[in-house]
Amino acid sequence: MTITHHPSDVTLAAFAAGTLDEGGALVVSTHLSACSACRAAVRTFERVRGIALADGEGAALKADALQRALAAISSAEPPPVPRRDGGQAEWPAPLSAYPLGTWRWIGGGVQWRSVGVPADAGTRVFMLKAAPGTRIPHHGHAGLEWTCVLQGAFSHRNGRYGPGDFDEADDTIDHLPVVENGVECVCIVAMQGQIRFKSWIGRMVQPFVRI
Amino acid sequence: MPSDRDDTDPAHWLAAIAARRDRAAFASLFGFYAPRIKGFLMRTGTAAEIAEEIAQEAMLSVWRKADMFDASRASASTWIYAIARNLRIDRLRHERGGAGAAAAVLYESLRSEESERPDSSLEGTERDELVRLALRDLPDEQMAVVRLSFFEDKAHGDIARILGIPLGTVKSRLRLAMAKLRERLDEWS
Repeated sequence: MTITHHPSDVTLAAFAAGTLDEGGALVVSTHLSACSACRAAVRTFERVRGIALADGEGAALKADALQRALAAISSAEPPPVPRRDGGQAEWPAPLSAYPLGTWRWIGGGVQWRSVGVPADAGTRVFMLKAAPGTRIPHHGHAGLEWTCVLQGAFSHRNGRYGPGDFDEADDTIDHLPVVENGVECVCIVAMQGQIRFKSWIGRMVQPFVRI
Repeated sequence: MPSDRDDTDPAHWLAAIAARRDRAAFASLFGFYAPRIKGFLMRTGTAAEIAEEIAQEAMLSVWRKADMFDASRASASTWIYAIARNLRIDRLRHERGGAGAAAAVLYESLRSEESERPDSSLEGTERDELVRLALRDLPDEQMAVVRLSFFEDKAHGDIARILGIPLGTVKSRLRLAMAKLRERLDEWS
């Protein structure tokens, strides 16, 4: 799998820092499950954070902190054995950890399903599925919109986006994506902020996400 | 090659805990990391009381998971950082009433692959020295934005105000610095 579009370093560093909201982190994580180069980048940024931890100043703990810790480890249970699913999951691991809604037609040859990320931070996560050759009408973004392709491919003026590719768009970008011929295109999308009426996808998903 | 009795390298404290549930090694590890976890979390925006609780939880987690630590892949500091980060994410989500997946699920792909350089003779702790060298080699103006961004989680707008430089300059310096760090470190990550 050749991946040509990656999250920016700023985004990868924020993922390493744990400061992305859950929806954004899930889409980045989906990309990472396909991209060893970005996994290495996140590990680099984690190592910088590790240095920040090791070389930074400590803060004084409560007087009985070590006693409490020693008492806690005396009664610690061994960690649960990580659950391993036997079969091949349909989607990459981070995505299959979330409840997925049923596919619904939203018009224009596009289907939509919810991804059960708690919408605590104003980011909605959903999957889109479009038939080969679908021309998705003009849409603008009302905020950050991150997309990771799971299957198939689409193109817009920034290039071709196939499996694993990550499209990091903001409201300065106007897209005119066209789904490639061949197979259905399936994506996971995290859309941040108020969905603007102008946004085509926003209009389509509005009845479902109840903004 | 230091043995796991070496009392200066945290990776060897971890090895001692994994091998024989060594409580003295745990006390040493706690003495080094617990205050640093608390300090780091406070610098990156967590209240003191909660930072102390997360430091306690993180060290308990370190005790329970010590045998999963692989010194050929990560330094003790990076491994413990990731544990504390995930605990903070889980706590924030829980406080907001969310019931999503545990943070560890989102970071699993980073850990689950085999070491990409099995031929590498560098241990995680030695690779930390490479990180320090790479940071030291950054121009001062880039290091200033890296410090505020990576060490203190300051937003780009706040960094611009603190340093008295335009937002665009913050972003371009950070981009340059991150590209340099990746160029030197990704192959060891």
